[in-house]
Amino acid sequence: MANNRWGYPDLGFGIGLRTVHYEHILEKRPKIDWFEILSENYMDTGGRPLYVLDQVAERYPVVLHGVSLSVGSTDPINFDYLAKLKALGKRINAHWISDHLCWTGVSGLNVHDLLPMPYTDESLRHTIERVRTIQDFMERPIALENPSTYLEFSASNWTEWDFIARLAEEADCGILLDVNNVYVSSFNHGFDPKDYIDKMPADRVVQHHLAGHTHKGTHILDTHSDYVVDSVWELYRYTYRKIGPVSTLLEWDASIPSFDVVHAEALKAKRYREGVDLEAQELEAVSSYGD
Amino acid sequence: MGTSHSTDPGLDRIQRWMQACIMTQGECEEAIQSRAAQTVIPAADAPGLVKPSATMQALERLDVYRQMYLLRLEEALATDYPTLKHYLGESEFFRLVARYVEAYPSRSYTLNRLGDHLPEFAGTLTDIPKPEFCRDLARLEYAVTLVFDEQETPKLTPEAIQSVPQDAWERARLKPIAALRLLEADYPVSEYMGAVDEENPFPQIRKRKTFVVAYRRNYLVHRLDLKRPAYELLSALAAGKQLGQALMDVCVPGRKPAVKESQLFEWFRDWMAEGLFQSVEI
Repeated sequence: MANNRWGYPDLGFGIGLRTVHYEHILEKRPKIDWFEILSENYMDTGGRPLYVLDQVAERYPVVLHGVSLSVGSTDPINFDYLAKLKALGKRINAHWISDHLCWTGVSGLNVHDLLPMPYTDESLRHTIERVRTIQDFMERPIALENPSTYLEFSASNWTEWDFIARLAEEADCGILLDVNNVYVSSFNHGFDPKDYIDKMPADRVVQHHLAGHTHKGTHILDTHSDYVVDSVWELYRYTYRKIGPVSTLLEWDASIPSFDVVHAEALKAKRYREGVDLEAQELEAVSSYGD
Repeated sequence: MGTSHSTDPGLDRIQRWMQACIMTQGECEEAIQSRAAQTVIPAADAPGLVKPSATMQALERLDVYRQMYLLRLEEALATDYPTLKHYLGESEFFRLVARYVEAYPSRSYTLNRLGDHLPEFAGTLTDIPKPEFCRDLARLEYAVTLVFDEQETPKLTPEAIQSVPQDAWERARLKPIAALRLLEADYPVSEYMGAVDEENPFPQIRKRKTFVVAYRRNYLVHRLDLKRPAYELLSALAAGKQLGQALMDVCVPGRKPAVKESQLFEWFRDWMAEGLFQSVEI
């Protein structure tokens, strides 16, 4: 069932396609709902990554997720990059294409990080315009992910959740709601993560991310290097109650364990959703008892 | 929408300032006082640009991004240059990376291009062990990365070879596959790489001409060490020389040691078996 305005399907529970799992996937053809790929790893290669991707895309639904769109940068939009992204999306019949609400560099340089935006009126206007231009070029809506951030700018006069909701509305784009990132940023900046979830326009959320993080005491880093912590699972449960079924992806990018371990972690999300469904059925049964 | 804020230098200035702070090495205080950062925002105004959190001061929060920058780029370059890192050791390699990204900061959306200038840069350094060896080792590793990502091209088939008339071979051109790079080095860098990758004995790192072809077969990158005449012949063919002329150049009378016919046969047998050519052009 699709809850979003574009009719993008709920693909179920997927994981990121990673090099260390290539052999397992090609040999065992594991039963898994879908894969997300890091777009840039497949855009400039004619070698093994693309060969593997073509085979994966023949058997599984695939979604493109990038880190180089730099949608908030004041540099000109890189249309060469977009052309390659568009071609890759067509090649593998990607269900949708996503990147982050961030900037990665300016003045022709690239820091290769998902850098935080100041949430100002100027930033909002700037980003809306760029998302519209990008979507026109791509001939499809894109989804933007809420990033994990480690600082806030004094200039910001919007909350991140209001900013991203308005951006999605005005630019008519989707949202990739990363539940772990909401949690990480809520700790780093001291807000209630449920406030964030409450403000998300459900009909624009096309995907969720879940991941492990690293707690440094004074702040949390979004490292994708471990199991999802219980607090994030609780937030995922809350998100499901608010937004409903959305394609869910488990990210694990450092100290990556076996395919089966990563997949099993992704499937925990299914159990959380089933738990919520069961609660709802029980409540309905109780409320209809007196009818 | 919230209330407007008086400390808003604008999106472009915020981005240029933050980037300058991230890319300037040293302590955070030094970064905000650097020329690159102060061209955009005076150092005295810098702490006011970032909100402190309950647990961190403004500049400590900025420093989170600064610390991750070099670690991330080191990780990317170590992926492309693992053998150079092995030779230099972790701390010396990190020091090399720190200086390299100052000289050649990334200008591409992809980290695949970050290491394009590392071989030449390593060769210019005087305070790393054996910089010329490091340069050649990096050249070989760079060639391997290019071969890894090259477009796949067809392989020359036995049928295509058989279809060439006997009297046409002399003027035939053997077109190599795209995923192939030839390298002449002043040090035994391919042997060194083999020692690290395959646990072969380590060669003595002394100046010695070596020749290698890096190529891809079944989507895996391989290396084949070559003798000088084999390297010259393969280079000539890769450059588009006609087979007859390329052979004459290598088998020039008086060459010592002379290239034997049996050697030529062996080379071509190996090259065909490894799929180094994609077509014969008459």
